[in-house]
Amino acid sequence: MSTNTRSTDEAKPLTSHPRAHNKGTSSTTTSEEGLIQWNELMPQDNPIPYIRVKDFSFFYGPKQAIFDVNMDMGKNRITALIGPSGCGKSTLLRNINRMNDLVENVRHKGDITIDDDSIYDPSIEIISLRKRIGMVFQKSNPFATSIYENVIFALRVAGRNNRKELDEVVERSLRGAALWDEVKDRLHSSAMGLSGGQMQRLCIARAIANRPDVLLMDEPCAALDPIATVKIEELMLELKKEFTIVIVTHNMQQAGRCSDYTAFMYLGKLMEFGTTQQIFTNPKVKKTEEYVAGKMG
Amino acid sequence: MSESNVPSASDSPSSPAPKRERKPTPARFLVSPVTLWIDFLMTWVIKVGGIGVIVAVIGIMVFITWQVLPLFSGASIQPHDEVKMTMPNPAVVGMDEWGELPFAYDGDRTFEFYDAHGKNPPQKVTIALPEGEKVTATRYFPEKYSLVIATDKGNVGQIKVRYDAEYKDGRRTVVGRAELGTLEPLIDLPAEAAAEANPATASPAPAPGTPAPATPGSETPAAPAPAPTPATAAVAAQTSTKITVIDRGAGESNALVGAILKVGEKRELRAITFKAKRSIRGAGKMTLDQRYDLTGQLKAAPAQLLVPSTADALIVADDSGQVSYFFQDGDKFELRQSFQPFADSTGSKAIARMDFIFGDVSIVFSGENGQSRVFSLCIPAENNPEQKRIFALTKEFPPLAGPATFFASSQRNKAFLTGSGKQASLRYTTTETIRWEKNLDFDIRQGIIGAKYENLAFLDASNVLHVYELHDPHPEAGFNAFFGKLWYEGLAGPEYSYQSTGGTDEFEPKLSLIPLIWGSIKGTLCALIFAVPIALTAAIYTSQFLDPNLKRIVKPTMEIMASLPSVVLGFLAALWVAPRVADRVPSLLLILVLITLCPLLFGWIWNKIPKIYRLWMRPGWEWSLMLPLLVVLCVIGWNLGPYFEEIAFVYVDPNTGQRYADFGLWWKHTTGGGYDQRNSMVVGFMMGFAVIPIIFTIAEDSLSNVPAGLRSASLALGATRWQTAWEVVLPIASAGIFSALMIGLGRAVGETMIVVMATGNTPLMDFNLFSGMRTLSANIAVELPEAPQFSTHYRVLFLGALLLFLLTFVVNTLAEFLRNHLREKYKGI
Ligand SMILES: Nc1ncnc2c1ncn2[C@@H]1O[C@H](COP(=O)(O)OP(=O)(O)O)[C@@H](O)[C@H]1O
Ligand SMILES: [Mg+2]
Repeated sequence: MSTNTRSTDEAKPLTSHPRAHNKGTSSTTTSEEGLIQWNELMPQDNPIPYIRVKDFSFFYGPKQAIFDVNMDMGKNRITALIGPSGCGKSTLLRNINRMNDLVENVRHKGDITIDDDSIYDPSIEIISLRKRIGMVFQKSNPFATSIYENVIFALRVAGRNNRKELDEVVERSLRGAALWDEVKDRLHSSAMGLSGGQMQRLCIARAIANRPDVLLMDEPCAALDPIATVKIEELMLELKKEFTIVIVTHNMQQAGRCSDYTAFMYLGKLMEFGTTQQIFTNPKVKKTEEYVAGKMG
Repeated sequence: MSESNVPSASDSPSSPAPKRERKPTPARFLVSPVTLWIDFLMTWVIKVGGIGVIVAVIGIMVFITWQVLPLFSGASIQPHDEVKMTMPNPAVVGMDEWGELPFAYDGDRTFEFYDAHGKNPPQKVTIALPEGEKVTATRYFPEKYSLVIATDKGNVGQIKVRYDAEYKDGRRTVVGRAELGTLEPLIDLPAEAAAEANPATASPAPAPGTPAPATPGSETPAAPAPAPTPATAAVAAQTSTKITVIDRGAGESNALVGAILKVGEKRELRAITFKAKRSIRGAGKMTLDQRYDLTGQLKAAPAQLLVPSTADALIVADDSGQVSYFFQDGDKFELRQSFQPFADSTGSKAIARMDFIFGDVSIVFSGENGQSRVFSLCIPAENNPEQKRIFALTKEFPPLAGPATFFASSQRNKAFLTGSGKQASLRYTTTETIRWEKNLDFDIRQGIIGAKYENLAFLDASNVLHVYELHDPHPEAGFNAFFGKLWYEGLAGPEYSYQSTGGTDEFEPKLSLIPLIWGSIKGTLCALIFAVPIALTAAIYTSQFLDPNLKRIVKPTMEIMASLPSVVLGFLAALWVAPRVADRVPSLLLILVLITLCPLLFGWIWNKIPKIYRLWMRPGWEWSLMLPLLVVLCVIGWNLGPYFEEIAFVYVDPNTGQRYADFGLWWKHTTGGGYDQRNSMVVGFMMGFAVIPIIFTIAEDSLSNVPAGLRSASLALGATRWQTAWEVVLPIASAGIFSALMIGLGRAVGETMIVVMATGNTPLMDFNLFSGMRTLSANIAVELPEAPQFSTHYRVLFLGALLLFLLTFVVNTLAEFLRNHLREKYKGI
């Protein structure tokens, strides 16, 4: 299925690969392969590359949504994906846990590895891959059950029913999602009674209940008010100690405030990838500059 | 506007808003009048349409209710005419069909006909009774307008009452006639002493009263068995011997006259049988066959006597309140049953009156204390070791004020009019209900029910005949009739039974709707048991697992199936499925088991296959691997059926020891239920086909409409497709699935053509899967063409419709409540 060669053997440092053929952007410091070296930009921060996207292209039927993206996402770092609507951020994100497999007539080229394992490896169960990767959606989508049941859903479907363990998981996850104090007295009432911000944090709690390695967040604050947004941002900073986080956001301030690395995508291509500081203060690509400055999108 | 800078000032209602000129609205802000007009028009069209639909539904409901309501009303009675009868103390009063010319008979030789409207003077008619002869006993048969009389000379004859239309001065008048037929010397009146000396009466011979010397050669009724010699007759006339009660019954080829004789202080019971000589032209004239004296078989003196129109039995009540039922068996009269209708009475056990209900199968007994009980001929299951047709207590009516003083039975139905003193009560036997009851303001001596059940008449002590108009179009209807367990004539016990029409006039309609309701429930259950699992699993599979490209084919195909005319399905069921399935039930059972096990087996094997190989199959196409397996299993099951039958369904004939591998036989003898070719299983199967597409389509829609976000959430959390479907999608779709089930149920309940065609339409009440049924809807379809408008039958069919309506209404309302509850529970998603 996967058309590219796997390259798990080469343990490279975390790299971004805006290819040299991205016209007009080659003026940046690039290696001979045209890659920006992270350690050059941020020598003091040298994370282990955890999720690696390699020559990845993706097609919805005949329509190509992602063009040859190469990027590495560091362990215990927050990587933000920014770019105008329809540029393929969500598509990329949803490929990491293979949620896009659910869409009909899709096709991909290239590979994505997590901790050096290809997600397309036929010997890996897609279910176990998804257990490894938590996901938070733009629109909060709690199940119509109690708060408690929502949090432990991942454990329930895994057949873990030990009450004590579940109780612990609920408390830990809700605390992790900074929701515990607000809902601890009504754990067994319906999740539908929560406010929008609480629901989104419940979804985060649900996503981290099974202690995944990776947390994918697709515009988690798009539908929230500023106060809830701040709470979630604080939460993310807390969570990155434990998880590798990839977040899609339209909110420049948010990307600036809480992400370590930022990738700017445009029309399905990765235009620029670097530390957040570099992308926001010293973008090498003109499109990036325009976008970050709010002149586009 | 400067003041309104302060918001509170402008908001306050106390400060008057500054008046200003309205600026003209710029043209680009104007709305075209046509747009407004269309908007207005459409609003109203939609409003009218919506309200129209509601009104139409309510209208249908009201119409049906309107058609049904008369079934539940009692009889109403209005005074019509009063006729003063000049004849003092008439023995018999009768009335013509129209209630215009009632007559009185003095019990001897005079009839008087009275114009009910008092326009014409009474007509007096004298019958041609020989001079010097006196009538001592009479009985009137209102349905035939005939009387049987017995004279003091032992002669028996019939009087016919006729109403002839005559035209006088161009005006039509009805003239009453009464004509006496031939008097036959049937009864040999013994002298008091002779009666005592008669050895036959004392003899306990099996057929006591063995024929009086009836000459075999006697051919004509005019010259029957040796008539009593004038000498004895003269003696009889001089003594106090006379006939006190006479009754006659005549069948196709036989007749029976019964009589009670008073011989001094004693009473005797006689029976005379007649036979019709058979000729090429059918039954010919009746000739006297034999005479019987049955007195010896009675324990007490006979008091009352009834001969049914079948002319094969005598029912005699004696002074002790004992009823003896003699049944003619060849040339003997067998005392088949003797019983005391009021054996449990604390006071007198005597019988005040006994009279036949129309049809001569049921007898109303009136007790001295006013009790009113109906005994009917039947073969009761209990206390009847020999399984004989005897009388059993079938109905008990509320007692009258005192012993019944008059009685009349309807000649149209099972109603009877009785009462005591001033009380008059119109009762209906089948339903055990009082149609009408009232204390009139005169003492009633006699009562009449008009021939068309449209008039009632009462004769009071001062010989005034009060004629009433009776309005009781549906006497056989009522709550009891439709929902009660009734003991119908001839049945072994109370039953819920439906049989609206019968062959004869005397037929007692059985109108219980319970078997029909049960049929509807049974058919629906069979269909749903078959359809629901298939439809729901198919819907879940299609919406959650099947490849979307295939789903695009499957969905419309099922929708087309939903619109398949049910008459086609019924036709298929009756002519194709039923005969094929009839002797292949074991095969079907095997297939059922095999195809249920097949997916489990397949799933198990599939899971054992290494993932590498499983990847070959695109998700949503796994079924294509299972399909051949399924087909193979069906073929195997079908062909193994007969072998399975030989192992599991063998019936051994207990008499011959012969073994039959036959499911139908086996089923009959193991469960005791019947086995029809067109049975509930076939209906369930075919109706299932009608219901599956409906349930499938709606359920699939609601499953597919579950927000994709929830599915994604569940899948992203590592749930499998099945876990997602079961734990997340199903609960949210539950409201919609519930609707699907309810709509399927509604379809199954109302389904008509399939049931009509695929079952025998017998209104049975059993749990047997292999017997037929009749549903409410099928009943309407089958019987409406033969139900005369506004008849009871017609209205009963409407009642069935109303029940269907209510059934669906109640089910849908309940469903809506539940659905809203479910929706409420899962809302906000
Ligand atoms: N399920 C889908 N089927 C077909 N095309 C899709 C689907 N989802 C997204 N796309 C297309 O892929 C492109 C990228 O979409 P998306 O990843 O959602 O963009 P973003 O999240 O950056 O706004 C868009 O052009 C969009 O129209
Ligand atoms: Mg998006």
